[in-house]
Amino acid sequence: MSVTVVPAAGASATVRRNFWRGVWRVMRRKPSRMVGAAIVAGFALMGIFGPLLYPDPLPRDTQALYAPPSWRHPFGTDFEGTDVLALVVTGARYVLLTAAVTAVITVVLGTAIGLFSGFKRGRWDSVLMRLTDMKLTIPGLPLLLVLSTIWKFTGAIEMGLVLGLLGWGGVARAVRSQTLSLRERGFIEAARGLGLSTGHIVGRELLPSMAPYIAMNTLIAVTGAVYAQVGLFFLGVLPFEANNWGVMLNLAVFGGGALTTTAALPYLLAPLLAILLLTLGIVLVVDAMDEIFNPRLREE
Amino acid sequence: MGRSLTAVVSILGLAAVTACTGGGAAGEKSAGGGAGGGVYTTIDGNKPGLDVNGPFNPWNPKGNSFQGFNAMRIAWSKNHLTDPNQFYPGIAASWDIAPDNSSITLHLHPDNKWSDGQPVTAEDVKFSIALAYTQGSTAFALDPGAAGAASDVEVVDDKTVKITQDMKNPSVTFVRGVMDSFVVPEHAWEGVLPADFWDKLETARGEGAEAEAARGEITALSEKVLAFGPPKDVSAGPFVLERMNPGEALLVKNKNFYNAANVGPDQVKLLNYTGNEQIWNYLTAGKLDNAPFTAVPADVMKRIVATPGNQVVKGYSPVAVGLAFNQSKKPYDDVHVRRGLAHLIDRAEVVKIASPEGGTAAVTTSGIHAKAAREWLGGELDALEPYNVDPAKAEEEFKAAGLTKKDGKWALADGKPWKVTIHIPAPFSDWVSAAKAITSQLTTAGVDAEVVTTADYPLYLSELAEGKYDLGFWLMALGPAPYNIYQRLYGGSNGWNILGGKVEHSAPGKNGNWMGGAETVDVEGVGEVNPGELTAKLNSVSGDEQKAVIGQLAKAANQDLPVIQLWDYVNTQFVNTNRFTGFPADDSDLLRQPSGVWIQLGMLKKKQ
Repeated sequence: MSVTVVPAAGASATVRRNFWRGVWRVMRRKPSRMVGAAIVAGFALMGIFGPLLYPDPLPRDTQALYAPPSWRHPFGTDFEGTDVLALVVTGARYVLLTAAVTAVITVVLGTAIGLFSGFKRGRWDSVLMRLTDMKLTIPGLPLLLVLSTIWKFTGAIEMGLVLGLLGWGGVARAVRSQTLSLRERGFIEAARGLGLSTGHIVGRELLPSMAPYIAMNTLIAVTGAVYAQVGLFFLGVLPFEANNWGVMLNLAVFGGGALTTTAALPYLLAPLLAILLLTLGIVLVVDAMDEIFNPRLREE
Repeated sequence: MGRSLTAVVSILGLAAVTACTGGGAAGEKSAGGGAGGGVYTTIDGNKPGLDVNGPFNPWNPKGNSFQGFNAMRIAWSKNHLTDPNQFYPGIAASWDIAPDNSSITLHLHPDNKWSDGQPVTAEDVKFSIALAYTQGSTAFALDPGAAGAASDVEVVDDKTVKITQDMKNPSVTFVRGVMDSFVVPEHAWEGVLPADFWDKLETARGEGAEAEAARGEITALSEKVLAFGPPKDVSAGPFVLERMNPGEALLVKNKNFYNAANVGPDQVKLLNYTGNEQIWNYLTAGKLDNAPFTAVPADVMKRIVATPGNQVVKGYSPVAVGLAFNQSKKPYDDVHVRRGLAHLIDRAEVVKIASPEGGTAAVTTSGIHAKAAREWLGGELDALEPYNVDPAKAEEEFKAAGLTKKDGKWALADGKPWKVTIHIPAPFSDWVSAAKAITSQLTTAGVDAEVVTTADYPLYLSELAEGKYDLGFWLMALGPAPYNIYQRLYGGSNGWNILGGKVEHSAPGKNGNWMGGAETVDVEGVGEVNPGELTAKLNSVSGDEQKAVIGQLAKAANQDLPVIQLWDYVNTQFVNTNRFTGFPADDSDLLRQPSGVWIQLGMLKKKQ
């Protein structure tokens, strides 16, 4: 037995090595993809270490309210003289943690429901898909607005949980259709013929074929979650955190008059730029992933 | 500030100053001769968001009756610093107030007519008072024990109405309550009220099950009245609504108005807005002839003032804002904690950050706007503890309260962590900035603090009243009547209610008592006082006696600190003199009324 195990392990290591070599090749082909990966990595680092870079509470200079950009304050200061860049950096953790929780819940729930529904078919499929339809017909933002009046989303995880629970419908539908198509393919038929368990078929045969699709959905869910929560904070319906990007946008527009005069413009632009960069990074990484996982694109 | 104080003020039924002109530049034809003509452009500070389908109904918040333009009160209050009984004529040309406030006789303008040509009569006034009963009003209240309520409305002749106060529980606010009533045409509102309304009202003002049932029937009419509107605008004001779209309402001069000859503009355009930033944009474009109180950031202010013709006019606004405590929550039940916090808040810095153009830092906590406080208290105001920023004093106070300091952070007496949570409604961005500045100041001083926002103002008020918050921003000093000023600190929200003419104190958490202050306060130099009873007394006393009571209450508020007074509002308005002249000057009492009132009094003239 050990004789067969060793070459198997060696083979999988080779596959892994080839995979990373493929990744590297894909990344090198378009430098923009490298930039994308760097941006995403940068934001991840910012989320993890950002708050450690600054003292808590952030220093204020009440002699310099809405100060213009300078070397000291690259994006100026806010209404109470706090450095805007510091706010964006320290605020990244909340935004990204929420986005990550949302993405995980969206994808795990969406995939689980989609796979189960598509694989089992029949009554389960009908029930779950009607549930999904119902979920999809409920407009997300108005529901969130109503929810926010009765539930204070105090933590990033709570916020992510709510956004995730509201966002799995699309993924579930897409995964179900993929499953319906895949389950009729030869290799699944073969697995069934061999008498493999449902768990094995779903976990080892179906899921890997859909992994790229799911991975891309995870990243797209991240951008969706960032927009949704920043939007909610911007509308002023969520708890106040001075370094939340949405709160910054809100205060810049409604408190600082950023759309009327220039003083609060850097205060408005800094969080906008952060959101834009994050989205750009994710789009570029998704582009790379598409090629990595799509054999046809890869072989070109 | 998001929706800003204009919204707050209107919610409280105070005169929010709105007005505006503008638009004459659009070159529309001017109708009248002489100094008349032109289009006056403004916004209605009470109505963010015009509703094309709103009824012509002054009681309906989404209605299309605009105060001072096509909605008229009996008279327009001057909101005088100390005298609540001063008014400008509205539907009434003049009035006689009985020396003991027991009655008021209104004399209507002899030649005033509705825009459809019918005369404005005493019957219209009586009918409108009946409508006011269904909507709840201080002078026209169904509750038999209510203070300052009317007991009788009598039509003396076609142009004279006499309203008598129920002297079982009189109040100096009675006259103001009467004058604030809107008047609508009975002939256009026919059928809204049952024929036997006044009999029902008589029954309702009695006692027993029958009275209770009658009160229920009248209150049930409220919705019907609120939803009603005549098919066409019938106005006794200087203008009548001609047409509107979601962007603006166009009103034209009412030729039947008693002072039509002196009404300057031929037309008025009321522009739609949903937030302050839209008003800022109108102002920087020079579109508005007047904008009522609008919170403005410093840089936007510079842009507005730089626009040709724009001018800033500042006046007194009987409103202040304070940080109120829920004293049923620990450690805020201890006066030393409240005083300690007061010594840590730099009010000047808070105002600089939050409301540089719309407020002045409170000199101290007296419960009264500084301007009125000077009138009422004179030199006594300087004798009050000013609560200057003083970390050493704060430390003393906290220690006296038994708080402990560990690693530079204050903790509760039992060693548990202490976090000051300040609640505010999210739409008021000046309050948001102020609360954030306060938490920054407290955190620097070792008091852990955070800001929590609530989605909108009505929800904020209801959660506050339910006792859900430890600390919250609270409008106060709502003058001019001294009772109205102090009932914000020692009224229903702090446990004292006037029921059947008697002051009763409810325990914290009961009958709307969320402030949870002690029933009596030991005031240095005065002794043990019951501030709620003193406040109620302000309804019936006058002259020097009233001043003495106010002096005691100011001391009580200053020492007991149910709230920390943060800043007094300044009524900052904008006018544009390119198209019209004759705007009220700084400190004019007319700044506390919409600009429709300036126009109907004949002040504004087209620029020649």
